[in-house]
Amino acid sequence: MLKKITVFILLVLLTGFLVGCWSREEITQIAIILGTGVDWTADGRIRLTVQIAKPGSFAGGAEGGGKGREPASWAVSAEGKSIEEAERYLAMRVPRDIYWGHCITLVIGEEMAKKGTRIVTSFFLRDREPRETMWVMVAKGEAKDVLETHSNLEKTSAQAAGLLERMKTGYSVQLREFAEMLASKGVQPVVTRVEVKEAGVTPGSEQEKKSPAHKQVEITGVGVFKEDKLIGWLDAEKTRGLMWLKGEPMEGVITVPSPGEPDKEVSILIRRGKTKIVPKYDGKSLRFDVKIDMEGDMVEQQSLEDLAKPEKIKFLESGMAEEIKRRCNLALKKAQKEYAVDIFGFGNAFHRKYKKEWRELKDRWDDVFRQAEVNITVAARVRVIGLSTKRADVPEK
Amino acid sequence: MIGFRKPIRAKTLGRGSQKSQGNIEGGALSSVSLKNLVLSPDLETNLRQIKTILDRCSDVVYREFVFAQNEEIRLALIYTDGLADKVQVSDQIMKALALEVAMAAPGQEITKARALEFIKQRGLCIHQIKETNKVEDIIDAILSGDTVLLVDGHATAIINGARGFETRSISDPEAEPTVRGSRESFIESLRVNTSLIRRKIKSPNLKIESMKLGEVTATDVAIAYIEGIANDKLVAEVKNRLGRIKVDAILESGYLEELIEDNPFSPFPTVNHTEKPDRVAAMLLEGRVAIVVDGTPFVLTVPNLFIEYLQAPEDYYERFIFATAVRVIRFLSMIISLVLPSLYIAVVSFHHEIFPTTLLLNVAAQREAVPFPVFIEVMIMEMTFEILREAGIRLPRPIGQAVSIVGALVIGEAAVRAGLVAAATVIVVAFTGIASFTFAYSASIAFRLLRFTLMVLSATLGLFGLVSGLAIIAIHLCTLRSFGVPYLSPLVPTIGADLKDVILRAPWWAMFSRPRLIARQEQIRLEQGLKPSPPETRPKGKG
Repeated sequence: MLKKITVFILLVLLTGFLVGCWSREEITQIAIILGTGVDWTADGRIRLTVQIAKPGSFAGGAEGGGKGREPASWAVSAEGKSIEEAERYLAMRVPRDIYWGHCITLVIGEEMAKKGTRIVTSFFLRDREPRETMWVMVAKGEAKDVLETHSNLEKTSAQAAGLLERMKTGYSVQLREFAEMLASKGVQPVVTRVEVKEAGVTPGSEQEKKSPAHKQVEITGVGVFKEDKLIGWLDAEKTRGLMWLKGEPMEGVITVPSPGEPDKEVSILIRRGKTKIVPKYDGKSLRFDVKIDMEGDMVEQQSLEDLAKPEKIKFLESGMAEEIKRRCNLALKKAQKEYAVDIFGFGNAFHRKYKKEWRELKDRWDDVFRQAEVNITVAARVRVIGLSTKRADVPEK
Repeated sequence: MIGFRKPIRAKTLGRGSQKSQGNIEGGALSSVSLKNLVLSPDLETNLRQIKTILDRCSDVVYREFVFAQNEEIRLALIYTDGLADKVQVSDQIMKALALEVAMAAPGQEITKARALEFIKQRGLCIHQIKETNKVEDIIDAILSGDTVLLVDGHATAIINGARGFETRSISDPEAEPTVRGSRESFIESLRVNTSLIRRKIKSPNLKIESMKLGEVTATDVAIAYIEGIANDKLVAEVKNRLGRIKVDAILESGYLEELIEDNPFSPFPTVNHTEKPDRVAAMLLEGRVAIVVDGTPFVLTVPNLFIEYLQAPEDYYERFIFATAVRVIRFLSMIISLVLPSLYIAVVSFHHEIFPTTLLLNVAAQREAVPFPVFIEVMIMEMTFEILREAGIRLPRPIGQAVSIVGALVIGEAAVRAGLVAAATVIVVAFTGIASFTFAYSASIAFRLLRFTLMVLSATLGLFGLVSGLAIIAIHLCTLRSFGVPYLSPLVPTIGADLKDVILRAPWWAMFSRPRLIARQEQIRLEQGLKPSPPETRPKGKG
């Protein structure tokens, strides 16, 4: 017994020499990358820009507060023939281990996007550290400029951009979704477009007045891709139409004229909705019936009239449906006629219904789609109009 | 100590009046030497014999006097000063025999031959008397606090139960305080302790069997169980294990615990102890066996299951919803006290991905100035905490608390300010420390030890090491048994009916059965349908 125990203890002790704290990295040894950007330089090389968090600036409490306006991040670039090569060059400038695990945003420069994004995504999808949930964006201009900005509200511009994406005010794409869109023949990728714009200056603050106008990242629509190459843009209004046609997310505000007083407006906030794409194909002509169901609540009313009448609500609903249809059509026309790419996923819907035909059509799908007829029908409903117009102080008519 | 297995001079005293310095030294230690030694009819011989055995015991008092009605009858009282109740001895024994017998039975002629019988029947005013002719019993009685009366001409002694030594009064339980429930705690006297149990369970089935353990100390030990509820085999096993014990001394129940536990090398205790009589009563009613040891307020209970550490006496006194909620907290604290520091080490030094980004940046900011790897840092703080805790217990009470609080604050605060440790580490260590006090103390010791092991594993292998460590602990717990009952039952093996008292504390009207593996089979605790409900009709004002 004693011998057994001794042997066991010795074995346990000896295992201590076998382990080497493999992959142990103290937090103080890593450079936490929050955002990264990839540009295609004029001389045909890849420029990798990373935004590294400066941990000292993130300290909370009394000690950390004194840092003031010193930026919390450090943007640094390196060039190379590939991203991995650029990263190695970067490692010569960054004194810590480059750590991708918390990279929030991947910004692709305009030139790079035109050159082709597969060059970029390959690294981020293969390497074990970057997450597939990072937000992908296309910069109008250079990605480097986007990463060199600072946020007024958040600590770093990468975090700010990530939060903007998470709000889904524009069409947000994660790396995983982007890769899926790249892999599918039934849909062409769209990616959030970001721009560097001058942010509004806070009135009254002395410091703000002295400092130069602050540059910030803003979401301005989407970039449209054919395969992995950027071919054009959609602005914010058309982006909303794109989102409704894709059926995700069904959000937004519709402003329609008030039924009784056409010069005054009524705002309807979309609460939920559903998009259904029904392809019709007889061998020659291809038609898509798109049915959009929308439900919204009235959240703002400029007029004083009582809207709680069936015909007035009908009027609102038809106005809402018209507006939704108009914006969807805007996006559709632009994509179908100008860019000739199916960014809405009509191909996937077709694939689901006509599996055999899809095999023949899939390789020239964008051509087929260009000639397809798309009918959009919108059924809109206003659920809540509120009680404010029935208040005691509002004279009844 | 001195050869309790093989009494070196076992026979010397038995040879009669032969006495030497040597045989007393050895003889006093070995009770074997007193065996077979009996009294003689001659008082002088007897006294000499006892005085020889109790040589140089200055606290033993010998009082010789004569019987009131017949001065030829010589009597001798022997007792230990301080252990016997002096008032009883002088009033009920000496005064009665030396003075008052004459008044009670005037004119009766008592012969030497009748003396013993008469004294027993009429002379002594003592509740508890016992006759014996064995020297061994006499010595034992004297040293236990009883008073021995020797009567000339008789080879029989009367042992008078007139014990009266100083004991602590019953006070609040210090190690297991409760808000609701009984405030009594056991004390150091075995008799008082058994009376406290008996007061809770007034059943003839509550059996309290006593024995003496320890060759030198001759400590009184009592086994308590409820016949008909406790498993007979369990009782037999307890007796068997206790009977095996041959040690020189039992000074605390901890001695017994180590001598009867199932797995001496396990960090987990397989014998529970408590200082609360209500808890012991509850244990007995579940079919457990209690071992009461003289000289300690801690009573052992067996078998001991792991879940007992999550159960506090209060759980059963508070309403069951609240009790269940508190148990969930206790369960979480148990997990926290075991894994939190190692989890922190693993995540900070291996798996930064687990942190949400903002938290990672926050932790990174705190650790920026810290010169040590996180393992060293946590180790330093854990050691500091353990040292402070130990100091807090050992220090004299008035300064103890102040020192521990000030020490913790000063060390914690100053270390963070100096940048030697991160604030997050202090939070982790402090939280772990506090969490470890939410459940039974004896289990928290085991968890403290294992926590350090897990910390080393985490520091070398990350979460993989932590999970491996936890797996080993889980396997070990599954193999443990306490007096034949699986340690993790009713969880492993799962016993559905007994799950009512693990995390969930079922309401009392649903506690139908006793623990299946502990008590005898098919034990019904209460009748079905005791769930209270409001009456059908509203009670009227009158009638």
